[in-house]
Amino acid sequence: MAHTSESESHALDQPWRIWASVAIFGIVLSGVVLGVVIIPVVQGRSDGIDAYTAICRALGILPGSPARQQVTDRTPPAPVSQVVWTPDLLQILANAKPERGRAKAQEVCVACHGEQGVSAAPEYPHLAGQSGAAIYKQLNDYRTGSRTHQLMTDIAKALDEPTLADVAAYYAAQPKRNLNLKTLAESPPAIVHLVELGDPSRNIPPCAACHRPGSGGPIEAPILAEQGQEYIVRQLKLYASGERRNDVYGRMRTIAAKLTPGEIDGLAAYYRAGFR
Amino acid sequence: MRNVERLCLAHFWVAFAAFLVACFLGAWQMWVRSPWGANVGTPGQYFMSVTAHGVSMAYVLTTFFIMGFGYFVAVTSLGRPLPGKVWAWVAFWMAIVGVVMVLVPIIMGQASVLFTFYPPLTASPWFYIGLVLVVVGSWVWCVLMLVAMREWKRENPGQPVPLAMFATVANAVMWLWTTVGVAAELLFQVIPASLGIVQTIDAGLARTLFSWTLHAIVYFWLIPAYIAFYTLVPRAAGGRLYSDTMGRLTFILFLIFSLPVGMHHLMMDPQHGNGWKFIQVLLTVFVSVPTLLTVFTITASLEIAGRLRGGRGVFGWIAKLPWERPAVLATGLAFVMLGFGGFGGLINNGYGMNAMIHNTSWVTAHFHLIFGGSVVVMYFAIAYEIWPRLTGREHASPAPLRWQLWLWFIGMMVMTLPWHWLGLQGQWRRVANFNYDDPIIAAWGPWVLVSLFGGLVLLASALLFVRNLAVLHRSPLPVTQRPLYALAVHPPHRVPAALNGFGLWNVLVLVLMLLAYGYPIAQFVIEPSPAAMVHRLH
Repeated sequence: MAHTSESESHALDQPWRIWASVAIFGIVLSGVVLGVVIIPVVQGRSDGIDAYTAICRALGILPGSPARQQVTDRTPPAPVSQVVWTPDLLQILANAKPERGRAKAQEVCVACHGEQGVSAAPEYPHLAGQSGAAIYKQLNDYRTGSRTHQLMTDIAKALDEPTLADVAAYYAAQPKRNLNLKTLAESPPAIVHLVELGDPSRNIPPCAACHRPGSGGPIEAPILAEQGQEYIVRQLKLYASGERRNDVYGRMRTIAAKLTPGEIDGLAAYYRAGFR
Repeated sequence: MRNVERLCLAHFWVAFAAFLVACFLGAWQMWVRSPWGANVGTPGQYFMSVTAHGVSMAYVLTTFFIMGFGYFVAVTSLGRPLPGKVWAWVAFWMAIVGVVMVLVPIIMGQASVLFTFYPPLTASPWFYIGLVLVVVGSWVWCVLMLVAMREWKRENPGQPVPLAMFATVANAVMWLWTTVGVAAELLFQVIPASLGIVQTIDAGLARTLFSWTLHAIVYFWLIPAYIAFYTLVPRAAGGRLYSDTMGRLTFILFLIFSLPVGMHHLMMDPQHGNGWKFIQVLLTVFVSVPTLLTVFTITASLEIAGRLRGGRGVFGWIAKLPWERPAVLATGLAFVMLGFGGFGGLINNGYGMNAMIHNTSWVTAHFHLIFGGSVVVMYFAIAYEIWPRLTGREHASPAPLRWQLWLWFIGMMVMTLPWHWLGLQGQWRRVANFNYDDPIIAAWGPWVLVSLFGGLVLLASALLFVRNLAVLHRSPLPVTQRPLYALAVHPPHRVPAALNGFGLWNVLVLVLMLLAYGYPIAQFVIEPSPAAMVHRLH
């Protein structure tokens, strides 16, 4: 009896298995014929693309749209910085050793930037707790001439790439910069507004969107905190005038050119005072 | 009920607590994006809030609700104790630990990557590991559902599995398939990047793996609503289910057509050939089949109920339906929202039309209307339907329940219809604030305010919902026993194995997934593309 019901059930089931499979594969097959053959070939023909290329493009084996000729730009690139964040470079930065960097820093950097990254003079930036990627980017830009400075250009040129990474790691490992809500509360509201929200009416993004740890901005964006006021004012003015131009996509040149002198002073004061 | 009340209530209360918090966050987000709230809060706070809102609604509310409802269905529809109840509690606490691990980094501002992650952004590893724990907890639930069905089948050879349980197991099977994509993305790409083991992520591969999960996860959320349509609503309306076979077919078709279709989320992505996008879009179109089957079957079932209550004529039965009952009212409201949301979805699924609304508020409106509207209103209906059984108490009056459902419906329509319109105007999504000084954006302002009003109505409805459930725990009225599940007009006596299990369908899903995703994923191995730098937010 059990055997009968099993074979009955099997007989009941067989058409389901057959027709379900036929229906599903019929749908897929029509999708393949339409999506990979008919549509690409017909669309490609209208823009002079041969059938084989159109089918390969529809499959993603060749690059480009099956319906349009591939437009290629032959303008030579003119990058403002030679730093490319390749996996290899990121690995070099990740493997950099602060202990190795310390020796080189003692030898070359401490006279201006201090042993712990706290600079001796207001025109030199503090490096303590700065992001390693930011320090590396600037050193490399000095090395390749993307950024110039009467002292830094020669110093950076004398260092090889792994050493740059080690020195960057050394200063990055110095005490971190943390928010201090008490000192921040003393800043003028208009400046705090500019830092936190920017000014959408002038297309100025908030400074904090890139220059705060963990903000998610470009990797090379420096952390701004407890930085020398004179240094920040000078850099913003150099960006505004276009004299300094190693910012990718001209981000900082665009922003700095829109800031008023009062805002530049206010922001520099904010970033001098507001932390730790 | 055999002692699973505590288990179910624990799951439901976690789900609804997360839901209420997320409603407050949602209202705040709408406020800060409106002209009235411009410049309140920072972008960092906004994205933190959006992440918490999305995670709470999409992962906590849904997963806990579905698990709780699954345990309830397994016990009530099969009429036997839940196998492995200890494991169910283990899974619950594992998921709770996971939720805490997810929420702490979000609150600390170290996980503002939104609930869909967006690699190469990476959050704190705890965020992802917590999510993995929630998913593992849900896998335990899947296994328990499969075991419950298998044991019942062994005790009842040749008998058709009750439709509610068949559908629940369909959802469990689908969820096991669904989570493979996101699990692979998290375990092999995002978590190693977040831990600092690797410095780059192939964002194209990550997006492809997530697309595997992204559409099916929505059906995971949706299926409880459909279970209510087929098994609870016809009974609540006083009628019968028009066709049990249609129900089985619907859930099977959801299993098949929810998975090999995710690439319609990648139409603007350059890493796949147009042919693959076309194939998956074509398969997506077939998702309309189970939806239309359901609209037909449930309308027919309600018509039976309306005519049994004396309805006459072509439309006369509609007026005779017991609209005062929450489950019936919720079904009507859900169908209206499903209609608007479904037609909007057809726009999203057209390659050219999608290009116009891609990354605009239109998309946000679409998924809020379908999930937040149709699905969540049925979660409310389910909760109202089964809460008396869980607490042993009855509501004094269904009026506050009806109020709550109407408020949710009105709020959702008032919020999402302007979003659709704004999306057509080009209002972008995933931004923290708008510059209302710009004359074009200023023209959006009034509609943003209308949608803010809708959001506030939703918040009021959410509060009323939690109040309605909470007061039932103290209601003096004991529950009156009544059947829960609808009988079919022709109750099934014997069904083919294909409609009583998932063996055949799993094979077909496997083949379909190989066809639809095989090469699109393999290409990343055959010819690796330039990977993106990891962007750490922690």
